[in-house]
Amino acid sequence: MMQKISVLLGILILCAPITALSGDQKALLFHAGVGQRSSLNEIKAVWEERHPDQKVNFSYKGSGYFIADITRSRQGDLFMPGEEFYLLQAKERGFVENYNPETDIPAYFVTVIITPKGNPANITKIEDFARPGVRVGLGNPKSCAVGIWHEKTFKKAGIWEQVQKNAVLSAKCIPELGNAAQHRAIDATIVWSTTAVLYLRDVEIIPIEHQYRGIIRLPVATLKFARFSEEAEQLKAFILSPEARRIFHKHAYSVDPRIPVDEQSFCLDGTTDRDMGHLVNAARAVKDESFPVTAETVGDLIDEVERQRKTLRAGT
Amino acid sequence: MGNGFLARGRWWPAVTISIALAAISFYLLLVLSNWFYLGLADTVYFFSQPRMWQRFWLTVWTSTISMSLSLVIGIPAGYALSRFSFPCRNLFASIVDLPIVVSPAVIGAFLFGITTRFPFDLISEHYNIYIGRNVYGVLLVQFTVTCAFCARLMKASFDMIPPKFELVSRSLGASNFRTFFKVVLPMAKNGILASMIVVWARAAAEWEGLMLFVGASEGETDIMPFAIYLDWNGGMMGWVTSMTIVCILMAVTAMAAMRLIGGKSSVW
Repeated sequence: MMQKISVLLGILILCAPITALSGDQKALLFHAGVGQRSSLNEIKAVWEERHPDQKVNFSYKGSGYFIADITRSRQGDLFMPGEEFYLLQAKERGFVENYNPETDIPAYFVTVIITPKGNPANITKIEDFARPGVRVGLGNPKSCAVGIWHEKTFKKAGIWEQVQKNAVLSAKCIPELGNAAQHRAIDATIVWSTTAVLYLRDVEIIPIEHQYRGIIRLPVATLKFARFSEEAEQLKAFILSPEARRIFHKHAYSVDPRIPVDEQSFCLDGTTDRDMGHLVNAARAVKDESFPVTAETVGDLIDEVERQRKTLRAGT
Repeated sequence: MGNGFLARGRWWPAVTISIALAAISFYLLLVLSNWFYLGLADTVYFFSQPRMWQRFWLTVWTSTISMSLSLVIGIPAGYALSRFSFPCRNLFASIVDLPIVVSPAVIGAFLFGITTRFPFDLISEHYNIYIGRNVYGVLLVQFTVTCAFCARLMKASFDMIPPKFELVSRSLGASNFRTFFKVVLPMAKNGILASMIVVWARAAAEWEGLMLFVGASEGETDIMPFAIYLDWNGGMMGWVTSMTIVCILMAVTAMAAMRLIGGKSSVW
């Protein structure tokens, strides 16, 4: 008897969607890198409030999964992977409807050095990674973009051989590096500013000098098989607007529309210096309650600092 | 004295028991160290967040629905595989085993194939929706993974009931249908309840298939294991740790329930 009831209930609940789905709401499907989650969720909240007839469904994944997903499913309205490389891959296969590399970069990652709290190996610059005995965390270039940047940066500094000897970790994704620094498994590594900001309580942040500071473009594009191409274009325009850029800025992305870089995408001038200063102050502020938290000291990172001061272990 | 100890053969239970204890304390240590890492203040903070319980209920209700659906298919299918002989029965029996052996990731990848085919393409066209990118996608993945699993467990439960009871029932004039509901089902009750819990837990732990097929939308498709992965990626160790603790509590409850309800029958 109990079985029969549960069966009936199950069927009833399963039939409900057909009616529920046929509502007027337009549900956009947005493929986005899992690293962009916190800022994109905020953007989604603003967008849905202004457009009650629309709904943004994210499909957060590691960037490596996207091409397979899109190729197979041929679904999706917008695409924002964690590296331009993945977008160009999709473009090559003809999946991308509208992408202009000149203008469609709402935000950038900037590379920074992170060390465990207290900086036990006393790392201050890129060259310190080559010192014997420093435990370095590297990313595996085959599975995460930061690994490619490790190789690029240390090769430019001419210390790639020594750094490889110092490596104790080959990470498959960037949070692995953050966690390793947090748990003192490594003495130093290079990550994106947006990763570093997640571990303010447990790591020290050291800005990199201009010639080795990498600027990583974060593109957004609409897809060819978009079901709601008009709405997708509007949302894309919103993501590129100053308002949405400010949301990215709150999560430690750099958002200056023009950051001068060389052909290898290393920084040429001090455009990102201010952001770096704020990031360093934010790391101090979370550890030291007496540090003043103002727009002057930590810039747009105020919310992030307040959030992390609230708990000992990071949460939202 | 050592000699006597050995001679009386007490060393064998002593060795096995200490191995068991070592393994158990290893697992306890895992849970406790996580809890220490989180600390009391943070435990209270995270456990009082609505986000945690919203994800918890999402996990509970999706798993419950996919479990119910799996039972609807699994009970008759398991019975058929256990009792009747029909063409290709062994082939079907091995197909039913497939989703248990094959990684759920493969199932997630395969599901892409059907959502772009008839009749799903027409449905998504007509309603202007993306099939599989919402909570129904979660249910679909859970159902696909657990349905065959459920049929397999049901077959095992029915296999343990001697067919002679059915023969007697039918020889006394009861129809097949009546025999199934009045004789077989009541006898398999414990097995069914126990497998319900196993199937439920399997659905609640589903992650790889979701990762490939659905992707996560905050508050919509992020059931517990998926949410843990997402928050780990976001560096939110507090969330990760507190959710693993909830998962473990959930698992312990499920196992205790299994002991209580289905204690008399073994599932495996």
